[in-house]
Amino acid sequence: MRRTKPLAAVAVASLLALAACGGGGDSEGDGTDTGGRKFEDTGAGTKDAEAEGPAPEIDGAAEGGTITVYLPADPGPSDLDPTGGWSVTGNSIQQALTHRSLTQFTRDEEGNAILVPDLATDLGVPNVDFTEWTFTIKDNVTWETGDPVTAEEVAFGITRSLDSTEFPSGPGTEYSKPFFLDGDKYEGPYTDKGKAYEGVTFDADANTVTIAMAKPFPDMDYWGSFMAMGPAPLGDASNPPDYGKKPLSTGPYKVESFRPEEELVVVRNDQWDPASDPSRHQYADSFVFKFNQDQAQVDEIMLSGNSESQTAVSTSIGADNYAQADEALGERLVQQGAQCISTLTPDYTKITEIEVRKALAWAYPYEDAWLAGGELPGVTRIPADSYMPPGMAGKKDYFADGEQFTFNPERSKELLAEAGYEPGEYEITMLYSEEPVATATQRQIKRGFEEGGFTVTEIPIPATQSPYDYWLDPDNKINKRLNLRGVNWCSDWPSGSTMIPPLLKTGAVYNTAFFSEAAVDEEIENISTLPLEEQADAWGALDEMVGTEYFPTVITAFRNDLFTFGERVGSPAGLGSIGAPYYQNLYISE
Amino acid sequence: MSGMTTGPETLGALTDETVVDSNSTKAKAISGKSPMRIALGRLLKDKIAVLCAIIAFSFILIAVLAGVITDLFNVSLAANRPSELLSFTTGLPKTGPPNNGFDPAHPFGLAPRTADDNLAYWVYGCRTSLIIAGGATLVAASVGIVTGLVAGFLGGAVDRVLSFLIDLFLTVPFLLAALALAPIINERFATDPNYFTIQRWTLIAVLAGFGWMGVARLIRGEVLSLREREFVQAARVLGMPTSRILIKELMPNLAAPIVVSVSLMLPAFVAAEAGLAFLGIGVTSGASWGQTITKAVPFFDNYPLFLYLPMIGITLLVLSLNLLGDAIRDALDPKTRR
Repeated sequence: MRRTKPLAAVAVASLLALAACGGGGDSEGDGTDTGGRKFEDTGAGTKDAEAEGPAPEIDGAAEGGTITVYLPADPGPSDLDPTGGWSVTGNSIQQALTHRSLTQFTRDEEGNAILVPDLATDLGVPNVDFTEWTFTIKDNVTWETGDPVTAEEVAFGITRSLDSTEFPSGPGTEYSKPFFLDGDKYEGPYTDKGKAYEGVTFDADANTVTIAMAKPFPDMDYWGSFMAMGPAPLGDASNPPDYGKKPLSTGPYKVESFRPEEELVVVRNDQWDPASDPSRHQYADSFVFKFNQDQAQVDEIMLSGNSESQTAVSTSIGADNYAQADEALGERLVQQGAQCISTLTPDYTKITEIEVRKALAWAYPYEDAWLAGGELPGVTRIPADSYMPPGMAGKKDYFADGEQFTFNPERSKELLAEAGYEPGEYEITMLYSEEPVATATQRQIKRGFEEGGFTVTEIPIPATQSPYDYWLDPDNKINKRLNLRGVNWCSDWPSGSTMIPPLLKTGAVYNTAFFSEAAVDEEIENISTLPLEEQADAWGALDEMVGTEYFPTVITAFRNDLFTFGERVGSPAGLGSIGAPYYQNLYISE
Repeated sequence: MSGMTTGPETLGALTDETVVDSNSTKAKAISGKSPMRIALGRLLKDKIAVLCAIIAFSFILIAVLAGVITDLFNVSLAANRPSELLSFTTGLPKTGPPNNGFDPAHPFGLAPRTADDNLAYWVYGCRTSLIIAGGATLVAASVGIVTGLVAGFLGGAVDRVLSFLIDLFLTVPFLLAALALAPIINERFATDPNYFTIQRWTLIAVLAGFGWMGVARLIRGEVLSLREREFVQAARVLGMPTSRILIKELMPNLAAPIVVSVSLMLPAFVAAEAGLAFLGIGVTSGASWGQTITKAVPFFDNYPLFLYLPMIGITLLVLSLNLLGDAIRDALDPKTRR
């Protein structure tokens, strides 16, 4: 999953990422006093097919009140259609509060994300080779209107995800289209109006939905946790794009009002049956999400401790206020691991020597770049060693060049010498945004690379544009000149299958290195046919194989987010599977 | 500047010097003074004007000697290493302001996050400001004077065309045009190795392009009233070529409005340059006061000095140039009495 909103916001995040992407030793600097706060692992994803509603009550939780959530510099989703949603912000809010799907992630007391059933009675029943999945829909799940959610409506909702014309940036393009039966031919219920589709079928009497696959898809239960894998009202009632303005809710809250890029208000849904839901709660009367807030203002509110801040939540904090917030808020400053990596991608077709790519990793000034980008080394960014972020099942710790990459210009020069280049001979061409934070970070990167024996040609792009506008455009003349790009990627669920193929498969959109090795492509195909329990380790092994044999990507950092919670907001926590506050457990204490 | 021209024949009579007997020796001394010398004399008696001139001149010195000053304090614009100089938790410097005492290695302190030296950036920011404002003033004043002279003196169709041009430029909103031009220039020249030089010249061109109309209108108005005067008529009758009339007869009489408008244009451009840099469409690399202000705003709570430095620089420079301009206008205007 890309960070925040598709494109525009990826851009914002990626600016920061670019600005701040890095990895490096966190213990060697003598200034690494991070106030005792350390980088958080997200915890390995586990499953519990037996979980049943209602979710256990939280000690001390009370009903009532309004929780205000500030989202600084985050425009939020542009519409609320569950089929189109593929952003950390939108999905984290809607999946927790308003839109139920086949399965869902819950958070146990240790903070681990666990996959549990949601609309379905279990996590789905696959056939032997994972080419057919059957989900039984619970009887006691209802719409906000009080009507029961039927298997037909769930099947229709799932079918919608195949419409890549109506939902071009929906997650269905990545998971439904390639895996579902005839996904490449059937264009969905709106584009292929009236055409029959055999891939998703339902049995009204048994209340089951069956999804047939074109190839084995063992991760269907994870894919079921996306709100796109939930019901939609039949017929015209759910026609896009109007449905996205006010979709019907199935969760504990329903949408009261939504103004894109400004505000979303959700209020208590009386028709939601707690007995049907093993994870969600319904404590607060309403939630108000305020998008695109000013970071400095939000920090002021959250640190003021006034009545407005007591029932408020913020999804980020300015680095300059971190020390103060850490002291003032204590437990209410929550650090949440996000399953995200920041990377630099040397063009595999231009920088062909592995020594040079490794030299780049040694010449990248990790901590300097993080600081210049307003990050907190050791807290919001830590050195990275693999494509799979900490806590992902199967992740291996390996060192592509013997030890953890840190800023070491001498080693960089050595490697360049091995490849036959004098210091200053090898030219790196990269772009950067003229936005001040990105410019400041670029200066550090340039200095690091130059000390490491490279010559750097920088191409500035206007602050209003995203580097992705250039990197992802194969015809852009600036892009054609670059030999170093970057990408910032988050997992869709805790599996290597959402990290490695999108970044390393030949021709993948976000494979900005143009990395292409037949052996790796074959192995990616091969892993999806392996038995489920072997897959995690196989992804880990592939991760290490790519890292040590080809080293196509300089992975600069694993990322963490900081959330702040008001004094009266109960159970402050984040959800590791998506890297957002765990909204469903929040309450206002007396 | 709507006052009448400061012709030599009026200056003597309306000056605030005591009127003396025209046969005395003192009278002979006065009669030898040119209008400019009289104005200079008045200016030197104005304490505020002298102070402002000194301040403005010091800024010019700082800009010219930026390299010497930074060498003297052993600081530079080069990127420092934030991981060595800054605290990991706050992004603020470990030595010097805001949390520690004076640090002789960095007299103005270090910038948060980037660990850039504030003194070096301030001094070079001054240079950027003055180069761009000075360049823009030079261009705008030249274009404005030539246009105004030609339009006013030739009249007729030429005047109508030039006046239309002036009106046309006045209708284009400056900020909008600057915002629209920045990405266009970037797209055209981003890959050029001289991008930053080009960027500076563009900035001068944009500032001048939207700054010349005021001067042109002013000069045109002055010329319109001057060209009907006897000495111009006489020159025409004698068959002087137009260029000679413009340069030898009209220009000296326009000295006052030109000096005044130039002295007020300079501070306006200093402020505009900083404003554009603040919006991210001016100078994007190297030192610039406007850019430093953008960076410093979020840190005002924790590190006010970082914002104060460029603010003080801009305020002092603009204020002193403005007051100096006002004083020059007063000194040149025979009707002001103090």
